[in-house]
Amino acid sequence: MTALLKLDRVSVRFGGLAAVTDVTMAFSPGSLTGLIGPNGAGKTTLLNAISGFTAITSGHIAMNEIDLSPLSAAERARLGVVRGFQTVRLLERETVFDNVLVGCERLPQPGLLGQLLALPPERRCRARDLAATETTLRDLGLLPIAHRRVDELPFASRRLTEIARLLVVRPTVLLLDEPAAGLDTRDRRALVESIRTYHEAGGLTTIIIEHDIELVRRLCPYSVALDMGRIIASGSPNEVLSEPAVQQAYFGVRSGA
Amino acid sequence: MRLVPDLAVPHRPFQRAAGRRHGALFSAVALTAAWLAIPVLLGQYEVFIAAQVMIYAVATLGLDIVYGRAGQLSLAHASFFGLGAYTAALSGPLGIPLWVQPELVVLLAIAGGIIVAVPTLRLSGLRLALVTLLFGELFDWAIDHSLALTGGSQGMTVAPMTIGPFNSQGTVDAYLLASIIALGATLLTRQLARSQLGRRMLAVRDSELASASLGVPIVHTKITAFILSAVFAGAAGWVYAYVVGFVSPTTFNLFASVYFLVAVILGGAGRITGAWLGSAYIVLVPEVFNLVGYPNLFPVLGGGVLIAIALFLPGGLVEGAALIRAQLGLHRR
Ligand SMILES: Nc1ncnc2c1ncn2[C@@H]1O[C@H](COP(=O)(O)OP(=O)(O)OP(=O)(O)O)[C@@H](O)[C@H]1O
Ligand SMILES: [Mg+2]
Repeated sequence: MTALLKLDRVSVRFGGLAAVTDVTMAFSPGSLTGLIGPNGAGKTTLLNAISGFTAITSGHIAMNEIDLSPLSAAERARLGVVRGFQTVRLLERETVFDNVLVGCERLPQPGLLGQLLALPPERRCRARDLAATETTLRDLGLLPIAHRRVDELPFASRRLTEIARLLVVRPTVLLLDEPAAGLDTRDRRALVESIRTYHEAGGLTTIIIEHDIELVRRLCPYSVALDMGRIIASGSPNEVLSEPAVQQAYFGVRSGA
Repeated sequence: MRLVPDLAVPHRPFQRAAGRRHGALFSAVALTAAWLAIPVLLGQYEVFIAAQVMIYAVATLGLDIVYGRAGQLSLAHASFFGLGAYTAALSGPLGIPLWVQPELVVLLAIAGGIIVAVPTLRLSGLRLALVTLLFGELFDWAIDHSLALTGGSQGMTVAPMTIGPFNSQGTVDAYLLASIIALGATLLTRQLARSQLGRRMLAVRDSELASASLGVPIVHTKITAFILSAVFAGAAGWVYAYVVGFVSPTTFNLFASVYFLVAVILGGAGRITGAWLGSAYIVLVPEVFNLVGYPNLFPVLGGGVLIAIALFLPGGLVEGAALIRAQLGLHRR
Protein backbone atom coordinates (compact mmCIF):
# COMPACT_ATOMS: atom_id res chain seq x y z
CA MET A 1 0.00 0.00 0.00
CA THR A 2 1.29 3.48 -0.75
CA ALA A 3 2.16 5.60 2.23
CA LEU A 4 -0.17 8.37 3.37
CA LEU A 5 2.43 10.26 5.36
CA LYS A 6 6.11 10.19 4.46
CA LEU A 7 9.08 11.56 6.38
CA ASP A 8 12.26 11.64 4.37
CA ARG A 9 15.56 12.28 6.20
CA VAL A 10 13.91 14.79 8.53
CA SER A 11 16.23 16.67 10.88
CA VAL A 12 15.45 19.33 13.46
CA ARG A 13 18.21 21.29 15.17
CA PHE A 14 17.86 23.83 17.96
CA GLY A 15 21.06 25.81 17.69
CA GLY A 16 23.76 23.28 18.40
CA LEU A 17 21.34 20.62 19.65
CA ALA A 18 20.28 17.92 17.20
CA ALA A 19 16.79 17.07 18.51
CA VAL A 20 15.84 14.91 15.50
CA THR A 21 18.36 13.51 13.02
CA ASP A 22 17.75 11.89 9.63
CA VAL A 23 14.41 10.32 10.44
CA THR A 24 12.84 8.46 7.51
CA MET A 25 9.42 6.88 8.06
CA ALA A 26 6.31 6.02 6.09
CA PHE A 27 2.81 5.61 7.51
CA SER A 28 0.21 3.76 5.51
CA PRO A 29 -3.46 4.83 5.67
CA GLY A 30 -5.22 3.37 8.68
CA SER A 31 -2.00 2.54 10.52
CA LEU A 32 -1.60 2.94 14.27
CA THR A 33 1.99 3.55 15.31
CA GLY A 34 3.44 3.82 18.79
CA LEU A 35 6.39 6.18 19.16
CA ILE A 36 8.55 5.34 22.16
CA GLY A 37 11.88 6.45 23.57
CA PRO A 38 13.43 7.87 26.73
CA ASN A 39 12.97 11.47 27.90
CA GLY A 40 14.48 13.97 25.51
CA ALA A 41 14.64 11.44 22.67
CA GLY A 42 12.98 13.87 20.26
CA LYS A 43 9.50 12.34 20.14
CA THR A 44 7.59 15.58 20.76
CA THR A 45 9.90 17.43 18.40
CA LEU A 46 9.09 14.93 15.65
CA LEU A 47 5.37 15.39 16.28
CA ASN A 48 5.86 19.16 16.19
CA ALA A 49 7.64 18.83 12.87
CA ILE A 50 4.80 16.82 11.35
CA SER A 51 2.08 19.12 12.68
CA GLY A 52 3.93 22.30 11.70
CA PHE A 53 4.76 23.65 15.16
CA THR A 54 8.51 23.34 14.61
CA ALA A 55 10.31 24.12 11.37
CA ILE A 56 12.49 21.29 10.09
CA THR A 57 16.15 21.99 9.40
CA SER A 58 16.38 19.57 6.49
CA GLY A 59 14.45 16.75 4.83
CA HIS A 60 10.89 16.43 3.54
CA ILE A 61 7.48 15.75 5.01
CA ALA A 62 4.66 14.93 2.64
CA MET A 63 1.06 13.78 2.99
CA ASN A 64 -0.62 12.24 -0.04
CA GLU A 65 2.35 13.51 -2.04
CA ILE A 66 1.61 17.09 -0.88
CA ASP A 67 4.70 18.78 0.55
CA LEU A 68 3.71 19.99 4.02
CA SER A 69 6.75 22.20 4.59
CA PRO A 70 5.30 25.49 3.30
CA LEU A 71 2.07 25.04 5.27
CA SER A 72 1.43 26.55 8.70
CA ALA A 73 0.19 24.45 11.59
CA ALA A 74 -3.37 25.73 11.09
CA GLU A 75 -3.25 24.94 7.36
CA ARG A 76 -2.03 21.41 8.08
CA ALA A 77 -4.83 21.01 10.60
CA ARG A 78 -7.33 22.00 7.93
CA LEU A 79 -5.82 19.30 5.70
CA GLY A 80 -6.62 16.87 8.51
CA VAL A 81 -3.31 16.65 10.39
CA VAL A 82 -4.36 17.28 13.99
CA ARG A 83 -2.56 16.83 17.28
CA GLY A 84 -2.99 16.78 21.01
CA PHE A 85 -0.53 18.31 23.43
CA GLN A 86 1.54 16.81 26.20
CA THR A 87 -0.26 19.25 28.54
CA VAL A 88 -4.00 19.60 27.97
CA ARG A 89 -5.01 22.95 26.50
CA LEU A 90 -8.72 23.75 26.65
CA LEU A 91 -11.04 26.75 26.79
CA GLU A 92 -10.96 26.74 30.58
CA ARG A 93 -14.10 28.76 31.27
CA GLU A 94 -16.28 26.95 28.76
CA THR A 95 -18.19 23.70 28.93
CA VAL A 96 -17.11 20.31 27.61
CA PHE A 97 -19.70 20.74 24.87
CA ASP A 98 -18.37 24.11 23.71
CA ASN A 99 -14.79 22.86 23.83
CA VAL A 100 -15.64 20.02 21.48
CA LEU A 101 -17.73 22.31 19.28
CA VAL A 102 -14.60 24.40 18.60
CA GLY A 103 -13.17 21.35 16.86
CA CYS A 104 -15.76 21.83 14.08
CA GLU A 105 -13.50 24.63 12.88
CA ARG A 106 -12.15 22.21 10.30
CA LEU A 107 -15.53 21.97 8.57
CA PRO A 108 -16.43 24.74 6.11
CA GLN A 109 -17.99 27.68 8.00
CA PRO A 110 -20.01 30.63 6.67
CA GLY A 111 -18.43 34.08 6.36
CA LEU A 112 -18.48 36.89 8.90
CA LEU A 113 -21.87 38.36 7.99
CA GLY A 114 -23.47 34.95 7.63
CA GLN A 115 -22.34 34.07 11.15
CA LEU A 116 -23.21 37.41 12.76
CA LEU A 117 -26.65 37.68 11.20
CA ALA A 118 -27.47 33.97 11.66
CA LEU A 119 -28.33 33.60 7.97
CA PRO A 120 -29.63 30.21 6.75
CA PRO A 121 -26.15 28.78 5.90
CA GLU A 122 -25.04 29.57 9.45
CA ARG A 123 -28.08 27.83 10.88
CA ARG A 124 -27.44 24.75 8.74
CA CYS A 125 -23.76 24.64 9.75
CA ARG A 126 -24.65 25.12 13.39
CA ALA A 127 -27.11 22.23 13.30
CA ARG A 128 -24.45 20.07 11.62
CA ASP A 129 -21.81 21.03 14.22
CA LEU A 130 -24.15 20.46 17.17
CA ALA A 131 -25.03 17.01 15.85
CA ALA A 132 -21.38 16.05 15.28
CA THR A 133 -20.47 17.23 18.75
CA GLU A 134 -23.25 15.31 20.41
CA THR A 135 -22.32 12.12 18.55
CA THR A 136 -18.67 12.41 19.52
CA LEU A 137 -19.52 13.12 23.15
CA ARG A 138 -21.78 10.07 23.20
CA ASP A 139 -19.12 7.85 21.60
CA LEU A 140 -16.56 8.89 24.19
CA GLY A 141 -18.97 8.70 27.14
CA LEU A 142 -18.77 12.43 27.82
CA LEU A 143 -22.46 13.19 27.39
CA PRO A 144 -23.27 13.14 31.13
CA ILE A 145 -20.80 15.96 31.76
CA ALA A 146 -21.38 17.83 28.49
CA HIS A 147 -22.54 20.99 30.23
CA ARG A 148 -19.94 21.12 32.98
CA ARG A 149 -17.18 23.71 32.79
CA VAL A 150 -13.89 21.99 32.00
CA ASP A 151 -11.94 23.81 34.71
CA GLU A 152 -13.92 22.04 37.39
CA LEU A 153 -13.41 18.55 35.95
CA PRO A 154 -10.80 15.94 36.88
CA PHE A 155 -7.81 15.45 34.64
CA ALA A 156 -9.07 12.32 32.92
CA SER A 157 -12.22 14.07 31.68
CA ARG A 158 -10.19 17.03 30.51
CA ARG A 159 -7.86 14.78 28.55
CA LEU A 160 -10.81 13.01 26.99
CA THR A 161 -12.43 16.36 26.11
CA GLU A 162 -9.25 17.31 24.27
CA ILE A 163 -9.32 14.06 22.32
CA ALA A 164 -13.03 14.50 21.54
CA ARG A 165 -12.23 17.94 20.14
CA LEU A 166 -9.69 16.36 17.78
CA LEU A 167 -12.08 13.62 16.71
CA VAL A 168 -15.29 15.60 16.23
CA VAL A 169 -14.26 16.14 12.63
CA ARG A 170 -12.59 12.93 11.50
CA PRO A 171 -8.87 13.67 11.09
CA THR A 172 -6.69 12.16 8.37
CA VAL A 173 -3.67 11.98 10.63
CA LEU A 174 -4.09 11.99 14.40
CA LEU A 175 -1.03 12.76 16.51
CA LEU A 176 -1.24 12.17 20.27
CA ASP A 177 1.49 13.12 22.74
CA GLU A 178 1.34 10.92 25.85
CA PRO A 179 -2.46 10.88 26.07
CA ALA A 180 -2.38 8.34 28.92
CA ALA A 181 0.03 10.28 31.15
CA GLY A 182 -1.59 11.06 34.48
CA LEU A 183 -4.49 8.63 34.00
CA ASP A 184 -5.10 5.67 36.33
CA THR A 185 -5.32 2.10 35.08
CA ARG A 186 -9.06 2.08 34.47
CA ASP A 187 -9.00 5.39 32.66
CA ARG A 188 -6.12 4.16 30.53
CA ARG A 189 -8.04 1.09 29.52
CA ALA A 190 -11.06 3.22 28.59
CA LEU A 191 -8.84 5.53 26.57
CA VAL A 192 -7.31 2.62 24.67
CA GLU A 193 -10.80 1.32 23.90
CA SER A 194 -11.93 4.73 22.57
CA ILE A 195 -8.91 5.10 20.32
CA ARG A 196 -9.26 1.53 19.09
CA THR A 197 -12.96 2.00 18.33
CA TYR A 198 -12.33 5.17 16.35
CA HIS A 199 -9.53 3.46 14.54
CA GLU A 200 -11.50 0.43 13.58
CA ALA A 201 -14.15 2.67 12.04
CA GLY A 202 -11.47 3.31 9.42
CA GLY A 203 -9.74 6.11 7.61
CA LEU A 204 -7.69 7.30 10.54
CA THR A 205 -3.89 7.20 10.63
CA THR A 206 -2.56 7.59 14.16
CA ILE A 207 0.83 8.20 15.70
CA ILE A 208 0.87 8.03 19.45
CA ILE A 209 3.76 8.91 21.75
CA GLU A 210 3.56 6.86 24.92
CA HIS A 211 5.80 6.01 27.84
CA ASP A 212 3.50 3.23 29.00
CA ILE A 213 4.98 0.25 27.15
CA GLU A 214 2.07 -1.99 28.12
CA LEU A 215 -0.38 0.43 26.53
CA VAL A 216 1.65 0.50 23.31
CA ARG A 217 1.69 -3.31 23.31
CA ARG A 218 -2.08 -3.48 23.67
CA LEU A 219 -2.94 -0.74 21.22
CA CYS A 220 -0.32 -0.46 18.49
CA PRO A 221 0.47 -3.15 15.90
CA TYR A 222 3.59 -1.23 14.94
CA SER A 223 6.06 0.86 16.89
CA VAL A 224 9.18 2.95 16.43
CA ALA A 225 11.81 3.67 19.06
CA LEU A 226 13.71 6.94 19.07
CA ASP A 227 16.84 7.79 21.03
CA MET A 228 18.87 10.98 20.81
CA GLY A 229 16.88 12.04 17.78
CA ARG A 230 17.50 8.88 15.74
CA ILE A 231 15.39 5.84 15.00
CA ILE A 232 16.98 2.93 16.83
CA ALA A 233 14.38 0.24 16.17
CA SER A 234 11.05 -0.38 14.48
CA GLY A 235 8.62 -3.28 14.18
CA SER A 236 6.01 -4.83 16.43
CA PRO A 237 6.20 -3.52 20.01
CA ASN A 238 7.62 -6.84 21.21
CA GLU A 239 10.32 -6.88 18.56
CA VAL A 240 11.25 -3.29 19.29
CA LEU A 241 11.43 -3.84 23.03
CA SER A 242 13.70 -6.83 22.66
CA GLU A 243 16.20 -4.87 20.57
CA PRO A 244 19.46 -4.41 22.49
CA ALA A 245 19.66 -0.75 21.47
CA VAL A 246 16.22 -0.12 22.99
CA GLN A 247 17.11 -2.00 26.15
CA GLN A 248 20.20 0.10 26.47
CA ALA A 249 18.42 3.40 25.79
CA TYR A 250 15.77 2.62 28.41
CA PHE A 251 17.64 0.73 31.07
CA GLY A 252 21.27 1.54 30.32
CA VAL A 253 21.83 -2.21 29.85
CA ARG A 254 25.03 -2.74 27.95
CA SER A 255 24.81 -5.79 25.79
CA GLY A 256 28.06 -7.12 24.43
CA ALA A 257 30.48 -4.20 24.58
CA MET B 1 -16.41 3.27 30.16
CA ARG B 2 -15.46 5.38 33.16
CA LEU B 3 -13.45 8.35 32.00
CA VAL B 4 -16.34 10.37 33.33
CA PRO B 5 -16.05 11.18 37.03
CA ASP B 6 -18.43 9.68 39.55
CA LEU B 7 -20.76 12.55 40.13
CA ALA B 8 -22.13 13.53 43.49
CA VAL B 9 -25.03 15.38 41.87
CA PRO B 10 -26.74 13.78 38.89
CA HIS B 11 -26.50 15.97 35.82
CA ARG B 12 -29.20 16.15 33.25
CA PRO B 13 -27.57 18.35 30.68
CA PHE B 14 -30.31 18.52 28.13
CA GLN B 15 -33.00 19.33 30.65
CA ARG B 16 -31.14 22.36 31.82
CA ALA B 17 -31.96 24.06 28.55
CA ALA B 18 -35.65 24.19 29.45
CA GLY B 19 -34.95 25.80 32.82
CA ARG B 20 -32.77 28.29 31.05
CA ARG B 21 -35.56 29.21 28.66
CA HIS B 22 -37.88 30.07 31.58
CA GLY B 23 -35.09 32.15 33.08
CA ALA B 24 -34.55 33.95 29.79
CA LEU B 25 -38.26 34.72 29.42
CA PHE B 26 -38.39 36.10 32.96
CA SER B 27 -35.30 38.26 32.34
CA ALA B 28 -36.76 39.57 29.07
CA VAL B 29 -40.01 40.59 30.76
CA ALA B 30 -38.18 42.22 33.68
CA LEU B 31 -35.80 44.10 31.39
CA THR B 32 -38.62 45.35 29.16
CA ALA B 33 -40.52 46.56 32.23
CA ALA B 34 -37.43 48.39 33.50
CA TRP B 35 -36.83 49.85 30.06
CA LEU B 36 -40.38 51.26 29.97
CA ALA B 37 -40.28 52.40 33.59
CA ILE B 38 -37.15 54.55 33.27
CA PRO B 39 -38.56 57.30 31.00
CA VAL B 40 -41.97 57.12 32.68
CA LEU B 41 -40.88 57.25 36.32
CA LEU B 42 -37.54 59.08 36.29
CA GLY B 43 -36.67 62.70 35.62
CA GLN B 44 -35.02 64.07 32.47
CA TYR B 45 -31.54 64.00 33.94
CA GLU B 46 -31.77 60.34 35.01
CA VAL B 47 -33.18 59.30 31.62
CA PHE B 48 -30.29 61.09 29.93
CA ILE B 49 -27.82 59.20 32.15
CA ALA B 50 -29.58 55.92 31.34
CA ALA B 51 -29.11 56.69 27.64
CA GLN B 52 -25.40 57.19 28.28
CA VAL B 53 -25.19 53.85 30.09
CA MET B 54 -26.63 52.19 26.99
CA ILE B 55 -24.26 54.02 24.65
CA TYR B 56 -21.25 53.11 26.77
CA ALA B 57 -22.54 49.53 26.91
CA VAL B 58 -22.22 49.34 23.12
CA ALA B 59 -18.61 50.51 23.24
CA THR B 60 -17.86 48.20 26.18
CA LEU B 61 -19.34 45.25 24.30
CA GLY B 62 -16.94 46.17 21.51
CA LEU B 63 -13.89 46.13 23.78
CA ASP B 64 -15.20 42.91 25.26
CA ILE B 65 -14.99 41.34 21.80
CA VAL B 66 -11.36 42.17 21.23
CA TYR B 67 -10.14 41.95 24.83
CA GLY B 68 -12.65 39.82 26.74
CA ARG B 69 -13.11 37.25 23.99
CA ALA B 70 -10.09 37.39 21.69
CA GLY B 71 -7.72 38.34 24.53
CA GLN B 72 -6.03 41.25 22.74
CA LEU B 73 -5.37 44.15 25.10
CA SER B 74 -6.25 47.44 23.40
CA LEU B 75 -5.69 50.93 24.78
CA ALA B 76 -6.97 52.61 21.63
CA HIS B 77 -10.62 51.78 22.21
CA ALA B 78 -11.71 55.29 23.23
CA SER B 79 -10.16 56.56 19.99
CA PHE B 80 -12.58 54.45 17.96
CA PHE B 81 -15.36 55.85 20.14
CA GLY B 82 -13.96 59.30 19.27
CA LEU B 83 -13.74 58.43 15.58
CA GLY B 84 -17.51 57.89 15.52
CA ALA B 85 -18.19 60.94 17.67
CA TYR B 86 -16.09 63.29 15.52
CA THR B 87 -17.69 61.88 12.37
CA ALA B 88 -21.02 63.06 13.73
CA ALA B 89 -19.57 66.35 14.96
CA LEU B 90 -17.80 67.21 11.70
CA SER B 91 -20.66 66.08 9.46
CA GLY B 92 -22.44 69.38 10.13
CA PRO B 93 -19.62 71.72 9.07
CA LEU B 94 -18.52 69.37 6.26
CA GLY B 95 -22.08 68.93 5.01
CA ILE B 96 -22.14 65.12 5.07
CA PRO B 97 -25.78 63.99 4.79
CA LEU B 98 -27.22 61.89 7.60
CA TRP B 99 -27.82 58.77 5.56
CA VAL B 100 -24.15 58.58 4.52
CA GLN B 101 -22.83 58.87 8.06
CA PRO B 102 -23.48 55.35 9.42
CA GLU B 103 -21.73 53.82 6.40
CA LEU B 104 -18.90 56.30 6.81
CA VAL B 105 -18.51 55.45 10.50
CA VAL B 106 -18.42 51.73 9.70
CA LEU B 107 -15.87 52.21 6.92
CA LEU B 108 -13.65 54.44 9.07
CA ALA B 109 -13.88 51.98 11.95
CA ILE B 110 -12.96 49.05 9.70
CA ALA B 111 -9.99 50.97 8.34
CA GLY B 112 -8.95 52.06 11.83
CA GLY B 113 -9.41 48.54 13.20
CA ILE B 114 -7.14 47.13 10.50
CA ILE B 115 -4.53 49.85 10.98
CA VAL B 116 -4.36 49.12 14.71
CA ALA B 117 -4.58 45.35 14.29
CA VAL B 118 -1.90 44.69 11.70
CA PRO B 119 1.18 45.88 13.58
CA THR B 120 -0.10 44.23 16.73
CA LEU B 121 -0.40 40.74 15.26
CA ARG B 122 3.08 39.77 16.34
CA LEU B 123 2.77 41.32 19.78
CA SER B 124 0.86 40.41 22.90
CA GLY B 125 0.35 41.56 26.46
CA LEU B 126 2.13 44.72 27.51
CA ARG B 127 3.89 45.38 24.21
CA LEU B 128 0.60 45.08 22.36
CA ALA B 129 -0.97 47.49 24.85
CA LEU B 130 1.85 49.99 24.26
CA VAL B 131 1.41 49.96 20.49
CA THR B 132 -2.36 50.42 20.77
CA LEU B 133 -1.64 53.23 23.24
CA LEU B 134 0.48 54.92 20.59
CA PHE B 135 -2.47 54.84 18.17
CA GLY B 136 -4.68 56.35 20.84
CA GLU B 137 -2.22 59.19 21.44
CA LEU B 138 -1.98 59.76 17.70
CA PHE B 139 -5.76 60.24 17.53
CA ASP B 140 -5.64 62.77 20.40
CA TRP B 141 -2.83 64.60 18.70
CA ALA B 142 -4.72 64.76 15.41
CA ILE B 143 -7.78 66.30 17.12
CA ASP B 144 -5.65 68.82 19.00
CA HIS B 145 -3.84 69.86 15.86
CA SER B 146 -6.81 70.42 13.62
CA LEU B 147 -8.04 73.37 15.66
CA ALA B 148 -9.90 75.13 12.90
CA LEU B 149 -12.08 72.10 12.30
CA THR B 150 -12.43 70.42 15.71
CA GLY B 151 -11.88 73.25 18.16
CA GLY B 152 -8.92 71.28 19.51
CA SER B 153 -8.99 70.68 23.24
CA GLN B 154 -11.85 73.20 23.59
CA GLY B 155 -14.16 70.73 21.94
CA MET B 156 -17.07 71.53 19.66
CA THR B 157 -20.83 71.48 19.85
CA VAL B 158 -22.80 69.04 17.73
CA ALA B 159 -26.10 69.97 16.14
CA PRO B 160 -28.81 67.42 16.96
CA MET B 161 -29.86 64.76 14.49
CA THR B 162 -33.40 65.59 13.40
CA ILE B 163 -35.72 63.38 11.40
CA GLY B 164 -39.26 64.80 11.31
CA PRO B 165 -40.34 65.22 14.94
CA PHE B 166 -37.35 63.21 16.17
CA ASN B 167 -34.57 65.24 17.81
CA SER B 168 -31.59 63.30 19.15
CA GLN B 169 -31.10 65.77 21.98
CA GLY B 170 -34.65 65.43 23.29
CA THR B 171 -34.70 63.23 26.39
CA VAL B 172 -36.99 60.44 25.24
CA ASP B 173 -35.62 60.58 21.68
CA ALA B 174 -32.07 60.17 22.97
CA TYR B 175 -33.21 57.30 25.14
CA LEU B 176 -34.82 55.61 22.12
CA LEU B 177 -31.83 56.11 19.85
CA ALA B 178 -29.48 54.70 22.49
CA SER B 179 -31.85 51.79 23.07
CA ILE B 180 -31.84 50.87 19.41
CA ILE B 181 -28.07 50.57 19.03
CA ALA B 182 -27.73 48.97 22.47
CA LEU B 183 -30.25 46.30 21.52
CA GLY B 184 -28.57 45.80 18.14
CA ALA B 185 -25.09 45.49 19.67
CA THR B 186 -26.32 43.11 22.35
CA LEU B 187 -28.05 40.83 19.85
CA LEU B 188 -25.01 40.84 17.55
CA THR B 189 -22.71 39.96 20.45
CA ARG B 190 -25.06 37.19 21.52
CA GLN B 191 -25.01 35.74 18.03
CA LEU B 192 -21.21 36.12 17.94
CA ALA B 193 -20.98 34.08 21.14
CA ARG B 194 -23.07 31.33 19.54
CA SER B 195 -21.08 31.29 16.31
CA GLN B 196 -17.87 29.55 15.39
CA LEU B 197 -16.25 32.97 15.06
CA GLY B 198 -16.92 33.64 18.75
CA ARG B 199 -15.50 30.27 19.77
CA ARG B 200 -12.45 30.90 17.57
CA MET B 201 -11.81 34.08 19.52
CA LEU B 202 -11.95 32.26 22.85
CA ALA B 203 -9.61 29.63 21.45
CA VAL B 204 -7.11 32.28 20.34
CA ARG B 205 -7.33 33.95 23.74
CA ASP B 206 -6.78 30.75 25.70
CA SER B 207 -4.04 29.16 23.61
CA GLU B 208 -2.71 30.11 20.21
CA LEU B 209 -0.96 26.74 20.04
CA ALA B 210 -4.15 24.79 20.58
CA SER B 211 -6.01 27.09 18.16
CA ALA B 212 -3.50 26.42 15.41
CA SER B 213 -3.76 22.69 16.05
CA LEU B 214 -7.52 22.93 15.44
CA GLY B 215 -7.09 24.87 12.20
CA VAL B 216 -8.16 28.25 13.58
CA PRO B 217 -6.83 31.06 11.35
CA ILE B 218 -5.25 33.12 14.15
CA VAL B 219 -4.31 36.29 12.26
CA HIS B 220 -7.69 36.44 10.55
CA THR B 221 -9.47 35.96 13.89
CA LYS B 222 -7.52 38.75 15.60
CA ILE B 223 -8.11 41.22 12.77
CA THR B 224 -11.82 40.40 12.73
CA ALA B 225 -11.99 40.98 16.49
CA PHE B 226 -10.26 44.36 16.16
CA ILE B 227 -12.58 45.38 13.33
CA LEU B 228 -15.76 44.37 15.16
CA SER B 229 -14.65 46.14 18.31
CA ALA B 230 -13.85 49.29 16.35
CA VAL B 231 -17.23 49.23 14.60
CA PHE B 232 -19.07 48.86 17.92
CA ALA B 233 -17.08 51.73 19.45
CA GLY B 234 -17.50 53.89 16.35
CA ALA B 235 -21.27 53.38 16.29
CA ALA B 236 -21.48 54.16 20.01
CA GLY B 237 -19.40 57.32 19.56
CA TRP B 238 -21.54 58.49 16.67
CA VAL B 239 -24.73 58.20 18.74
CA TYR B 240 -22.94 59.69 21.77
CA ALA B 241 -22.12 62.89 19.89
CA TYR B 242 -25.71 63.33 18.67
CA VAL B 243 -27.17 62.66 22.10
CA VAL B 244 -24.78 64.72 24.21
CA GLY B 245 -24.37 67.52 21.67
CA PHE B 246 -20.76 68.23 22.57
CA VAL B 247 -17.44 66.46 21.92
CA SER B 248 -13.97 67.17 23.26
CA PRO B 249 -10.76 65.10 23.23
CA THR B 250 -10.86 64.32 26.97
CA THR B 251 -13.84 62.03 26.39
CA PHE B 252 -11.68 59.91 24.09
CA ASN B 253 -8.22 59.96 25.68
CA LEU B 254 -6.16 57.27 27.34
CA PHE B 255 -8.13 57.54 30.59
CA ALA B 256 -11.34 56.83 28.71
CA SER B 257 -9.71 53.74 27.15
CA VAL B 258 -8.67 52.59 30.61
CA TYR B 259 -12.23 53.07 31.89
CA PHE B 260 -13.56 50.87 29.09
CA LEU B 261 -11.02 48.27 30.15
CA VAL B 262 -12.17 48.64 33.75
CA ALA B 263 -15.76 48.15 32.60
CA VAL B 264 -14.87 44.90 30.81
CA ILE B 265 -12.81 43.48 33.67
CA LEU B 266 -15.18 44.59 36.41
CA GLY B 267 -18.26 43.18 34.73
CA GLY B 268 -16.57 39.98 33.64
CA ALA B 269 -14.59 39.47 30.44
CA GLY B 270 -16.42 37.62 27.70
CA ARG B 271 -19.86 38.10 29.24
CA ILE B 272 -22.59 40.30 27.76
CA THR B 273 -24.16 41.02 31.15
CA GLY B 274 -20.67 41.87 32.35
CA ALA B 275 -20.24 44.56 29.69
CA TRP B 276 -23.59 46.10 30.72
CA LEU B 277 -22.71 46.08 34.41
CA GLY B 278 -19.28 47.49 33.67
CA SER B 279 -20.78 50.27 31.58
CA ALA B 280 -23.29 51.12 34.32
CA TYR B 281 -20.36 51.34 36.73
CA ILE B 282 -18.22 53.69 34.63
CA VAL B 283 -21.17 55.99 33.87
CA LEU B 284 -23.13 55.96 37.12
CA VAL B 285 -20.47 55.91 39.82
CA PRO B 286 -18.61 59.06 38.64
CA GLU B 287 -22.02 60.71 38.39
CA VAL B 288 -22.74 59.85 42.03
CA PHE B 289 -19.37 61.28 43.09
CA ASN B 290 -20.20 64.44 41.14
CA LEU B 291 -23.55 64.74 42.90
CA VAL B 292 -22.04 64.47 46.39
CA GLY B 293 -19.37 66.98 45.40
CA TYR B 294 -16.22 64.82 45.36
CA PRO B 295 -15.63 64.12 41.64
CA ASN B 296 -11.92 63.50 42.23
CA LEU B 297 -12.56 60.54 44.49
CA PHE B 298 -13.81 58.34 41.64
CA PRO B 299 -10.38 57.39 40.25
CA VAL B 300 -9.23 56.46 43.76
CA LEU B 301 -12.26 54.29 44.37
CA GLY B 302 -11.95 52.92 40.82
CA GLY B 303 -8.38 51.79 41.48
CA GLY B 304 -9.39 50.18 44.75
CA VAL B 305 -12.35 48.38 43.19
CA LEU B 306 -10.20 47.10 40.34
CA ILE B 307 -7.59 45.70 42.74
CA ALA B 308 -10.31 44.05 44.80
CA ILE B 309 -11.84 42.47 41.68
CA ALA B 310 -8.46 41.27 40.42
CA LEU B 311 -7.69 39.70 43.79
CA PHE B 312 -11.03 38.21 44.78
CA LEU B 313 -13.22 37.96 41.69
CA PRO B 314 -11.11 37.35 38.59
CA GLY B 315 -14.30 36.48 36.70
CA GLY B 316 -15.83 39.90 37.45
CA LEU B 317 -19.29 40.76 38.77
CA VAL B 318 -21.10 38.19 36.63
CA GLU B 319 -19.06 35.38 38.14
CA GLY B 320 -19.48 36.96 41.59
CA ALA B 321 -23.25 36.88 41.18
CA ALA B 322 -23.07 33.23 40.13
CA LEU B 323 -21.04 32.45 43.25
CA ILE B 324 -23.58 34.18 45.47
CA ARG B 325 -26.42 32.29 43.79
CA ALA B 326 -24.55 29.05 44.37
CA GLN B 327 -24.03 29.98 48.04
CA LEU B 328 -27.73 30.60 48.44
CA GLY B 329 -28.50 27.26 46.84
CA LEU B 330 -30.22 28.91 43.90
CA HIS B 331 -27.76 27.68 41.31
CA ARG B 332 -29.17 25.92 38.30
CA ARG B 333 -26.22 23.69 37.55
N1 LIG C 1 12.05 24.63 21.39
C1 LIG C 1 13.19 24.01 21.78
N2 LIG C 1 14.34 24.72 21.86
C2 LIG C 1 15.50 24.11 22.25
N3 LIG C 1 15.60 22.81 22.54
C3 LIG C 1 14.48 22.06 22.46
C4 LIG C 1 13.21 22.62 22.10
N4 LIG C 1 12.28 21.64 22.11
C5 LIG C 1 12.92 20.53 22.50
N5 LIG C 1 14.24 20.76 22.71
C6 LIG C 1 15.25 19.76 23.08
O1 LIG C 1 15.20 18.74 22.11
C7 LIG C 1 15.38 17.48 22.70
C8 LIG C 1 14.21 16.59 22.38
O2 LIG C 1 13.07 17.05 23.08
P1 LIG C 1 11.61 16.42 22.95
O3 LIG C 1 10.70 17.28 23.73
O4 LIG C 1 11.31 16.22 21.52
O5 LIG C 1 11.79 15.02 23.68
P2 LIG C 1 10.70 13.93 24.03
O6 LIG C 1 11.16 12.68 23.41
O7 LIG C 1 9.35 14.40 23.68
O8 LIG C 1 10.87 13.83 25.61
P3 LIG C 1 9.77 13.59 26.75
O9 LIG C 1 9.54 12.13 26.80
O10 LIG C 1 10.45 14.09 27.97
O11 LIG C 1 8.56 14.36 26.40
C9 LIG C 1 15.57 17.72 24.20
O12 LIG C 1 16.95 17.74 24.48
C10 LIG C 1 14.95 19.08 24.39
O13 LIG C 1 15.57 19.74 25.47
MG1 LIG D 1 7.65 14.90 24.76
